[in-house]
Amino acid sequence: MEAEAAKMIGAGIAMIGAMGAGLGVGLAALGGVQGIARNPDAAGTIQTSMILGIVFTEAIAIYCLVVAMLILFI
Amino acid sequence: MAKQEATRKWKYGVNRWIALAIIIAGVIAAGMYPPLRPYISLPAEHLTDTLFYFPLTGEKFFLTNTMVAVLIADVFLIALALFVIRPALKSGKQVFKGIVGVVEALVEVIYNLTAGTAGKWTKTIVPIFATITFLVLTVNWMELIPGVDSIGVINEISLEHAHHVNPDLHVETDCDIDPLFTIGNTNVVSIGGQPDCAAAIAPFVRAAATDLNFTLGLAFVSFMAIQIIGVRAQGLRYFEKFINIRALGKPGMGKIDFIVGIFEIVSEFSKIISFSFRLFGNIFAGMILLLVIGTLIPVAAQTGVLMLEFAVGLIQALVFGMLTMIFMAQATQSHHGDEEHH
Repeated sequence: MEAEAAKMIGAGIAMIGAMGAGLGVGLAALGGVQGIARNPDAAGTIQTSMILGIVFTEAIAIYCLVVAMLILFI
Repeated sequence: MAKQEATRKWKYGVNRWIALAIIIAGVIAAGMYPPLRPYISLPAEHLTDTLFYFPLTGEKFFLTNTMVAVLIADVFLIALALFVIRPALKSGKQVFKGIVGVVEALVEVIYNLTAGTAGKWTKTIVPIFATITFLVLTVNWMELIPGVDSIGVINEISLEHAHHVNPDLHVETDCDIDPLFTIGNTNVVSIGGQPDCAAAIAPFVRAAATDLNFTLGLAFVSFMAIQIIGVRAQGLRYFEKFINIRALGKPGMGKIDFIVGIFEIVSEFSKIISFSFRLFGNIFAGMILLLVIGTLIPVAAQTGVLMLEFAVGLIQALVFGMLTMIFMAQATQSHHGDEEHH
């Protein structure tokens, strides 16, 4: 059972990377909201690029998730 | 006008009672047939034995449940285009209702996004963008249908693997799941039946993006589309982005430009990995979330997760297509801006 426990701990450690992605998504949303507040007319364009940036950032968290799931389920 | 309002009120009243009836049915079903802890397998489950061997490599070919999902999505999309969208367009109406309206709105979003980025290549890029988006969207939303991912046959390979990984786990061989129904001598089971048993089942249909083969294949298609449109727009000069021999001859920063080109090659291939793992990770995590929440709290709690997955499926489909579109638009533009200005 030790191997099983090590797997669980490893998956948990792998998810630490999601911390950076969380910060990144927050910063992207902050920038987007500030931009929209200053120039509400440009909301559409800002939203599109903001979502694109968020998706790129979120991909890092998803990689962590994939690594964690590979550890757990293989 | 008054008549229309009356029908509408009546409809809302009926829907409310249908929703209540479904909730009550869900509570009763969860009580009678409590869900089990699912055994989650990463590779797609085989539904058939080896069908044939590939001629050159000798690899075995199986029909997996994710392939079934893609085939269903293909048939659905082709039927939708031929028998619903085309007659609606031919009817000459200005305003569309129902599924045609949804498709129209999505196509409009796709077209406007592309037109804002790609310029004169819009007409070439829109079909690829739209095809990828609609296929991934259909495949992602199939995950939300009850029965997908949860009704299937007992999977011996997963059972052995489960025993191997965790010998303490109780699996079907120990605890005899009651089949939903039987075809021939094969028992069709669902995630449900007895508590304290892991359900290692091979579902008939499983969301296709939970199989890395599907996402990798799609990522490879979009990678090839990016390269092909680059060559079509710029000819062989497109490859100067990667191997910049002319820059070597220039004094000063020329050698750095050459090294940057080599990094471009790496980043080009990392696109395949990031495309495929983004979609796979999102949808696989969604599948696990749906199964686990459904096991822990079988009534009502899954609704919130279903709504989340509805949004995630749409966003991931749009993002996959949108990134393909943006990279294709980038490939059509020359990277030697400073030279062209002279």
